[in-house]
Amino acid sequence: MQFSRRTFLKAGGSSVALLATVGCDQLPRELRAFYEPAKSTGPFRPSASEEIDPVTHALNRVAFGPRPGDYERVSKLGPTPAAAAAAYLEQQLNPERIDDAEADRAVRRFETLGEPPGELFEYQDKLLHDELMRGTLARAVFSGRQLFEVMVQFWSDHFNIDPSKGDCKWLKVADDREVIRRHALGKCPELLRASALSPAMLWYLDGRVNRRESMAQKPNENYARELLELHTLGVHGGYTQQDVMEVARCLTGWTVRSKDQKPYFEIGRIEFKLQLHDCEAKTVLGQIIPAIPAHLGKAERERLGRAELDRVLEIAIRHPATARHLSGKLCQRFIADEPPATAVESVARAFAESNGDIRATLRALFATDEFRAQRGNKLKRPFNYIVSVLRATGASTDAGMEIIDYLRRMGHAPFNYPTPDGYPEPAAPWLGTLLWRWNFALAVSDNRIKGTRMEFETLRKNCGGDAGLMAHLLGRKPTAQETQAYHDSGAGLALMLASPAFQRC
Amino acid sequence: MSENPQLSTPNHQLSLTGNGDLRQTLVVVFLRGGADGLNLVAPLEDDGYHRARPRIALGKKEAVPLDGFYGLNPLLKPLAPAYQDGALAIVHAAGSEDDTRSHFEAQDLMEHGGVTAGGWLGRFLRAQNETSSGPLAAVALGRAIPECLRGAPAATVLQSLEDFALGDNRARFTRALAGLYHLERGLLAGAGRDTLDAMRRIEQLRTAAYRPANGADYGTDEFSRGLLEIARLIKARVGLRAASLDLGGWDSHFSQSLIMDPLITRLARGLSAFHRDLGGAMEQTTVVVMTEFGRRVEENSAFGTDHGRGSVMFVLGGGIQGGRVLGKWPGLSREVLEGPGDLPVTTNYRNVLAPILERHGAAGRLEQVFPEFALDPLPLFG
Repeated sequence: MQFSRRTFLKAGGSSVALLATVGCDQLPRELRAFYEPAKSTGPFRPSASEEIDPVTHALNRVAFGPRPGDYERVSKLGPTPAAAAAAYLEQQLNPERIDDAEADRAVRRFETLGEPPGELFEYQDKLLHDELMRGTLARAVFSGRQLFEVMVQFWSDHFNIDPSKGDCKWLKVADDREVIRRHALGKCPELLRASALSPAMLWYLDGRVNRRESMAQKPNENYARELLELHTLGVHGGYTQQDVMEVARCLTGWTVRSKDQKPYFEIGRIEFKLQLHDCEAKTVLGQIIPAIPAHLGKAERERLGRAELDRVLEIAIRHPATARHLSGKLCQRFIADEPPATAVESVARAFAESNGDIRATLRALFATDEFRAQRGNKLKRPFNYIVSVLRATGASTDAGMEIIDYLRRMGHAPFNYPTPDGYPEPAAPWLGTLLWRWNFALAVSDNRIKGTRMEFETLRKNCGGDAGLMAHLLGRKPTAQETQAYHDSGAGLALMLASPAFQRC
Repeated sequence: MSENPQLSTPNHQLSLTGNGDLRQTLVVVFLRGGADGLNLVAPLEDDGYHRARPRIALGKKEAVPLDGFYGLNPLLKPLAPAYQDGALAIVHAAGSEDDTRSHFEAQDLMEHGGVTAGGWLGRFLRAQNETSSGPLAAVALGRAIPECLRGAPAATVLQSLEDFALGDNRARFTRALAGLYHLERGLLAGAGRDTLDAMRRIEQLRTAAYRPANGADYGTDEFSRGLLEIARLIKARVGLRAASLDLGGWDSHFSQSLIMDPLITRLARGLSAFHRDLGGAMEQTTVVVMTEFGRRVEENSAFGTDHGRGSVMFVLGGGIQGGRVLGKWPGLSREVLEGPGDLPVTTNYRNVLAPILERHGAAGRLEQVFPEFALDPLPLFG
């Protein structure tokens, strides 16, 4: 009999529990293949620099930290560290040319992630949420397309959806795939449109109940407000309360079929209902959107009604405040918590000139002096910290719930942030998480996490001994105090992973 | 200029987490399964109550008199002193707007605070005016983080204090780590120092035998033990802002007293021990007891009650003008009862939580905690 994990999972919770209780080696061969083994690297040369050099900087800031051998591999891409780093960044800007078989294998077990919206409703929401979290973690650890995964995280925060609300429980999986991942390094206008018409977003920000059957009915402004405040112009972007209302009016009538509406296979389908649309004239950010004449045929009226969404999104995305707002956020992510104004300015220019091409915008960002100069000045957020530990140690992992629980304790499990502003980027809110980071460092180096394993002696040998191991973990030669602490601690690897230097990127 | 050099550093707020200052702590007790409010606090003087429950109603003689109208289940007698001292307030006919009478739906709505993302307690913690919260800002006693804490800046499931330590024989490791953080300048310096301080406090907790104060007598059940752990954490001043624990099993469709009596006993013993144990620290502490819905007013043929609507909430803590049963009593006549014969909800649970959250630092930010709800906070604090 063909073993189908999908049928298995759909059978319900008891069989899922069964799967969780049997060890990996007891699993059928077909399932064992899902467990991603540690990749053996062989000996490699870590950084011999006293400072964070451009190669380490790129690996720390634009990726989730180096894996064993990454430093040497990237260094060979150019004659100088700066040239090598530039070549690496260019590689990362073209993820489709990077083989990603290892990550694909690691997430293959999370079969729900590939299901179309209608099918998603056949699963228990908890399973979907777990697989979404675990799949995201596994990709961040194993993907060679590191910048892509970093941008997936960036856009997941920017267009945050907490799946605990209503049908988002099922639909966020499709949003992650069709909106965030499809456009993570694409064109911003397309990303914005996909998000605006994402069934999960229509649920999360109440777009689905934004309607105006009569002029007495008040449109629901929730999405319109966040569209301007968070997704495009930014809170000080120069829009007014009136603009919010007018945008909401333009977007009336878009809705999504909920799970209690038949037929079953159409659940989660987006619909535009002309009878729920406000057909009067509107003014959005100074631009007039004319009334839809009543004498036109229904098809034409519907076409015009639908087109208002595109018109509104275009006005918003082309607004100069949007270029500044998005560039500011990107610079905060990639340069400093307080992004330097000059860098924001030049990145915003690239955004505007490329009509929101994300690659062109990032290319401009990586070319700024500020990006090159500001090294090791950012705090890794908990997710980034956990991923960087797993990468640095070359651990094999099933991205299991025990690791997700560490993230929950630190308040940074993916897809668990309630409000539409997404997890904060600056360091301050995360400073209370050190205890769990230290605990995690010890748990990983002691191999105490089920489903996760690292080989200390192999890693140490491949790095060329203790000094090499420290240089690999810190991305530079250790200081005298760090070396002393490494030897005094009785748990040198964990100590390096818990050290202040390893918290930064 | 501040005389305390710590306070003159830009991130002085960090030094306020886990370092010995007395925080306000909110303890949320959820009675899962739909607890019968009419059996916890009975409307003794409403004849409809005795008519609807000829076999299971509390008698006027056995109940602990409260205010001439209501009476406390005799098993809740250990709570009577707190009520008489004004530290305990009761809200009757309280509950949510959810009328599905489904445990799952009703708990979900109540814990989320509406059809909204994240839990109300999680949003409350996020709405604090603090740049960072310590590792022990929010704990859930039990095995999983409840939905109400979802979205909290940090939330830990606590089964044992061992979870908070770095493990045994880590003295060398901790010393080496402290050495490196000591060399730091900037944000990580303060964070490292605070975390190491919090660890020391937890270590003292772990190693010292805990003796409850004032002769407090906790039970040996999970609920009492959970409250005892919370009392320890509060007294150790590790920065606890919110704690949540469940007392489940209230689904009393049949043989109500067989199911409810042991639970009521545990509830009363745990809460009264906690109250006594904390003593003066109760001034900074609020305990709120809630359930997803009450039970049908009329008893069923199996000496039980079926899923209903309104129930009762308890609020215990500092500053409360207790010794009162708040909330509008709607009466139990046919035309008042809702649906199949249920006590209507006259006080939405959010209006009970709102004044508590205000006291705990959410004044002016309640809209974030309970969006899309026109709040009308109950005057719990006078």
